[in-house]
Amino acid sequence: MYRYDEFDHAFVSARVEQFKDQVERRLSGELTEEQFRPLRLMNGVYLQLHAYMLRVAVPYGTLSSRQMHKLAHIARRYDRGYGHFTTRQNIQYNWPALKDIPAVLDELASVEMHALQTSGNCIRNVTADHFAGAAADEVGDPRPYAEILRQWSSMHPEFSYLPRKFKIAVTGADRDRAAIQVHDIGLHLKKNEAGELGFAVYVGGGQGRTPMVAKKIRDFLPVEDLLTYTTAIVRVYNLSGRRDNKYKARIKILVHETGTEEITRQIEAEWQAIKETDLKLPQEDVDAIDTYFAPPNLVQRPEGWSGLAAARKADHAFSAWVDQNVTPHKNPDYGVVTISLKPIGGIPGDATDAQMDLVADIAEKFSYDEIRVSHEQNLVLPHVAIADLRIVYDLLLTDGLATANAGLITDIISCPGLDYCALATARSIPVAQRISERFGNPERQADIGELKLKISGCINACGHHHVGHIGILGVEKKGEELYQISLGGSGDEICTIGDITGRGFSSEEIVDAIETIVDRYLEIRTDKEETFLATYRRVGAAPFKDALYSEVANAA
Amino acid sequence: MSDIEQPAGELWGREGFREDPYVTAETLEEAGDAPAVILPLGAWLGLTEETRNASNRKIGVLVAPGESIEPLLPLLDSIPVIALQFPAFNDGRSYSKAELIKNQHHFKGELRAVGDVLIDQVAYMLRTGFDTMKVNHAVTLNRLAGHNLHDVPGYYQPGRGSHTASGTYSWRRVPGA
Ligand code: HEM
Ligand code: SF4
Repeated sequence: MYRYDEFDHAFVSARVEQFKDQVERRLSGELTEEQFRPLRLMNGVYLQLHAYMLRVAVPYGTLSSRQMHKLAHIARRYDRGYGHFTTRQNIQYNWPALKDIPAVLDELASVEMHALQTSGNCIRNVTADHFAGAAADEVGDPRPYAEILRQWSSMHPEFSYLPRKFKIAVTGADRDRAAIQVHDIGLHLKKNEAGELGFAVYVGGGQGRTPMVAKKIRDFLPVEDLLTYTTAIVRVYNLSGRRDNKYKARIKILVHETGTEEITRQIEAEWQAIKETDLKLPQEDVDAIDTYFAPPNLVQRPEGWSGLAAARKADHAFSAWVDQNVTPHKNPDYGVVTISLKPIGGIPGDATDAQMDLVADIAEKFSYDEIRVSHEQNLVLPHVAIADLRIVYDLLLTDGLATANAGLITDIISCPGLDYCALATARSIPVAQRISERFGNPERQADIGELKLKISGCINACGHHHVGHIGILGVEKKGEELYQISLGGSGDEICTIGDITGRGFSSEEIVDAIETIVDRYLEIRTDKEETFLATYRRVGAAPFKDALYSEVANAA
Repeated sequence: MSDIEQPAGELWGREGFREDPYVTAETLEEAGDAPAVILPLGAWLGLTEETRNASNRKIGVLVAPGESIEPLLPLLDSIPVIALQFPAFNDGRSYSKAELIKNQHHFKGELRAVGDVLIDQVAYMLRTGFDTMKVNHAVTLNRLAGHNLHDVPGYYQPGRGSHTASGTYSWRRVPGA
């Protein structure tokens, strides 16, 4: 993975020193909260319902064991013993004291981490496929490009005061695990006919109150043009994006209002003017960054396969976990392990300090020191030998980390909602917990199969509900929390925004309503191979609406 | 960003504070016989070529963030100063305009930032191509007087007032001409 050089170290420590000074001035009263606000936001510090919240960047979701130990230490020492992994591949601490935050930033800097640009109207933490560098279906590792973008966007003098936040996601496989089409810029690393690497470029996707699928504006952009082309896009946005209304300020609205053809013309015109400037990437620089992400030297472990069959036969629970949470690796002797942070009835994405330490220890011994944070709020061990699966599973089991539900209905994405978030209109975590309990039976969920359920506590859609196969949006109506359901959303390569079913459901009704939908799916699927999403795409919303609204009407 | 009438402010550039020879006026008439004037874009564009190029008087132009710089581009050689406005510190459009005017269109005159100029933005302004800033925010004035620019030791992108760092990636720069 990427390692800081002196340049990076000097940069990050200078920023920490500046922030220390600002915190001191705030604590002494020299700065008012209002004056302090833009300064703290630049350092990832939010003011939430109960306390300040610190959002730490995990660039493109990659962590070493040492970094994970540090996150555990921070949770223990400065917070209440846990952290929350988010859909932005970040970790959030909900209870740090302001006076401690500079010390936390120092601790982070000591392991080459920071909280910069996790907030504010700038280019945010660049996200990537959480299976990058390991997945069997990968064309190229997206992380070197995400790292180049991370560096280039750090304290960018021209792009630090954009109309609104700006999110870039990169994937290196045809199967999109990074939801690139719901980002401001989505980059799909691919090869052209000549075998050269480049990107399909998508612009103007996003969620929030006006969800939109990004438009592809270029089918193949050579790698050397990555920074010049991105500059052209962001410049056009900075100059023309709306600033009169913060709900219309994202690039998706600009693309929508200007038209894809015209915006593409403007971007291409700007790009022609800067294409040959200093930002054109020399191949040796790309190669140099690339070497940081060279795959680890995986030892051949062919013995794993024979042992695995026996171990699976002996233990049904282990076998189910292998089916659900282990995906193919480039190297057939290895697997990619998803560690579910969705225990049945638990809080999606939360991990205790002890769990983080355990994951770090396992990664050090069994995953070449690498861990990933997924946008689905899980952790990933990217390089586990098939021969070690059993022991890794047993270790995970010791602290509730072996839930075999990756991709199943209880692998719920949920935003913090009214339990933590100042913008929330409804609770989301308790709904997630109740749904998880309802469907917690392992056989039942396995029978239901792949089903992505996502919950947001308000229209900002931090919980990605628009792209949930089943999405739940909590709203407030006449002082009551109401949950709106949408169906058929998907954040992968065939990206769709879910359709709202109709009137919302109360907190008491919502879990039954979800069960009604699932039961109807089980009735009408052609066979077990037809997933919920595939069924929905075949039959549309009508059968589900019938089930939902007639049954509830009967019950009422 | 306060309602109180702000003082006219002080002009600052990399070399420190300096006299501002310009007065700002809505029209040339309003400026009387001041030898150096900055006019709003509309008024400036309404001047005849002869007036703009008159040797006895310098006439600069003030551009609001919502206004296009397009009509100025063919005329850059005749403009002594372009003042780009920051009505609020977080309206970042003028940064991109600075980049276009200075680096893409090679404007040789003075590029000035006016409006809500705060210490945390000064380094960004210098790097995108601003030569001067009109500052009236007290803390900012203090910090500038103390040469405390709130800057970082290295930059991750090319920009004014920096040079290539040897032995590292092409996009990186270190401060200094
Ligand atoms: C708790 C404090 C949080 C606040 C105040 C907050 C605020 C917001 C706001 C205002 C938006 C709407 C942006 C727009 O539509 O222009 C948004 C979108 C989003 N946030 Fe959050 N959020 C919070 C927590 C989170 C968490 C915990 C996650 C990850 C789980 C997250 C990830 C996202 C994502 C993925 C989007 C939607 C994608 C998009 O930007 O279009 N946020 N957030
Ligand atoms: S979706 Fe709404 S409630 Fe949930 S975290 Fe985002 S802003 Fe808060």
